[in-house]
This record gives sequence, structure tokens and C-alpha cells, in this order.
Amino acid sequence: MKFSVTGTLAFLAATALLTGPALADGKAGIGLKETIAAKSGKAKTLAELAKMYDSSSCIECHQDKHDEAQKSIHSRSIYGTGRTASTIMSAIENGLMEQPYSGVKSPKDVKVEHLMGCAKCHLPQLADAEDSVAQELVNTLYSWKDAQKKKDKVAAKQFEDKLKSVNINCLVCHNRNAITHKWQDGYPKAGVVYGSKDGDHPSDKFPKMAVSPIMSEAIQCGQCHGMGPNMELDEPTQCCTSYGSYLWAYKSEGGQDSCQECHMKKSKLGHNIQSYRDPAMAKAAVDFKMESYGYHWRDGAEIKPKAVVKVEMTNRTGHSIPDG
Amino acid sequence: MFNQEKIYMPVPQQLGRGDRMGRGPYEKSGIIEDNGLPPGKTVHERFDIMFPLEELEVDGKFVSRPAAYDLDIEVKLWYLPFGTKKTDPFLWQEASKTVSISKTGK
Repeated sequence: MKFSVTGTLAFLAATALLTGPALADGKAGIGLKETIAAKSGKAKTLAELAKMYDSSSCIECHQDKHDEAQKSIHSRSIYGTGRTASTIMSAIENGLMEQPYSGVKSPKDVKVEHLMGCAKCHLPQLADAEDSVAQELVNTLYSWKDAQKKKDKVAAKQFEDKLKSVNINCLVCHNRNAITHKWQDGYPKAGVVYGSKDGDHPSDKFPKMAVSPIMSEAIQCGQCHGMGPNMELDEPTQCCTSYGSYLWAYKSEGGQDSCQECHMKKSKLGHNIQSYRDPAMAKAAVDFKMESYGYHWRDGAEIKPKAVVKVEMTNRTGHSIPDG
Repeated sequence: MFNQEKIYMPVPQQLGRGDRMGRGPYEKSGIIEDNGLPPGKTVHERFDIMFPLEELEVDGKFVSRPAAYDLDIEVKLWYLPFGTKKTDPFLWQEASKTVSISKTGK
């Protein structure tokens, strides 16, 4: 006769995604007027925002990188798997609408400033848009939800596609967020693609390329993959804290790899930046061993046989697991 | 027969104050404790599982005997991005083994 024993070890967590500069707006730095946002002016519609950071011209020469990136959840950073879209609505209803001093009584009151708690990472370029874009985004989210409730698949897909029209694309990492220390390295310029080389770039829209000093450094990803409360916001939010863990629990112990080293290079995933959803990465992340044995334990005169199960888990990544 | 869960995660503080855990990103600020798996470190867990017993009458006396001499053990490591197995659960690692005890002896 056999009995079944089940043990469950669970990770509970949340994920997030990237951050960056705003429009000039009275700021002191030199070169702010050269950014994409400053040259374009604030977007008034989602379509304008998508156009401002349109990276479709990259595909012509970088089809492989584009195809890789499309598989990453960065390419649908507002929609996610649908749960991200739902969580943004939760943040409006359970967060903004319940906070007495937010100025939000209903979704109609939501402005860009209100959404930056999520958009700081899920759509950093929203900072380069007018409040009408925040409203269009909110309306699209609720229309998508409504269409889903009504089981209107065609409408739901249309709204889903609209939500996916803005995302973390080539230009977010290779331009807008390619420089963190802007007073030292200058503001990212319109018409320049930032990566590993300086020189001419055969593209009408982006005729120059320049070295980003952080493109292969963990801080590039750390702009979004979090250290804790986002103190720069009037109402600090917190999603993932993996960059904080990386700094204080991995680098501080002598860890040498960057985010890019594991998530892009060693994994051979390139711009298809994945974590646990990639089977090889999931397997490499945690060593998992189980040992067990049984014996007849004696509690005084009474025999009480037992099984001993020992589990050993070693986190081989550069940050606490779980985290995003 | 036996089912035990252990949870590993950074535990966020609610609104950066007090002893309450925060849940959504709009109220999470700070960490109460990090009970996740730390990088580069090994976490050990031990489970002691008693075999089920049954009472039997032997030569007019009631004695306890194992109801089974084999236990099928399964240990699963799940990632639950949204805190429940109902939404997007991911089975990260698993191991199984049958543990047997002797049927004879003093």
C-alpha cells in the first residue's frame, strides 16, 4: 500500500520592466533640446506617441534582432499577458481612486502623472505625452476589459493591438534610456542610435550611431528592474526589486556577471530577453536536489515510523528569486 | 496525506510604514523581509513526515502498525507570479521518490 505525499515550495512575486528622461520643461541640463521628445513636442495621441518612438525602420537591417525582441514581453509592456493591463486598472481603482489626495475620483481624472507609477517602466515614453494620451490609454484599457466581458473577441483584439502599439522597443533602450548619467555623458539625441559603436549609421531617420556607456552594464536594466520605492514620484510605487538585490546581495558578494551576460549572451537569447519562461534559463537558475529516507522512530515505547525529506536549493542567478 | 507549503519571496512593506505587507505596486514600498532564494546561497529545507498508523488487535492486545510501508514523496517548486496557482502558475522544478521502511525487525 502506498500513500502520496506532496510538498510545495512556492515563489510569489511580481514582475516589471525600463525609465528615462522627460521633456526640457525648465530643467537645467545642456542638450535636452536635442532629444527625440524635445524635437517632436509632446504627443497628443497614442498614435503620435507610437510614431515618436517608431522603430520600424530598424527592421530593414536588423530583422533578426527585431524578431528576437518581438518574442520578449518587453514588446508588449503595457499589455503583458493581459495581467499587466489588468494590474494597471487595479492601480487606478485600488490605488489612485482610493488615495484621498491623488485627485482621481474616476478613471476620467487620470493624467500622465498618475500613470507614471506604472509607466515609469512599462511605458517610460509616456512622460513625453500630454494628458490626452493618458486618457486614451485608460479608455483603451477599459474598452479592452469591457470587450472581454462581452466576449467580443474582435473588439478585444483591436484594443489589445492598440495597447501593444506602444511598448519597450528598440528606441527606448537604444535612444531614450541609453544614457543614465546625462550631465556626464549628455542627453540622448534624436537621430542617433546608441549601442557599442560610434560613426555613421545608414538610416535616414537615424544617420548616426554612438556608444552608450551603459549598454552592456546592469544599470541599463536597473533603470526599471528596480531597487525599491520609486522615490522620485509623489506617490512612490514599487514593483520588482531585482536590481537592488543584484547590487546588495550579488555584486556585494563578488558576483561579476551583468544582467545582459546571463539574460542575453550566455542564454543565447539575444534581444529575446527572458527569464523563467525560457526552459534553459529556468533550469540553470536553481539547482534543486531532494534526498529522502525512512526509519522506525521510537517515541518511548511507541514505534512511529517516519520519512525524512531534505531539499536543497541553490540560486545560481545574480538576484533573489523570485523577483522581476 | 501530507501537504505542506513554504513560501519564498521578498515581502514588501505597505506604503513604507509599519508591519503590514503591501500587495499591489501602488501600495508596495519597502521590504519587511526578503525570504526569497538569495543569489549564490543554498537554502535547505527538511520535512519530517510520519507514516500513517493503524490499530490492530494481535493476540488480544491492540498494537499500532504502519498502514503503509512505502510513501510516494513529491516536492515541487512553483513560481506563482500572481500569488495563486489559479493564475499563470509555473512549475519550476520537481523531484519525486518512494521512501520505504522495513517490514520486519524487533
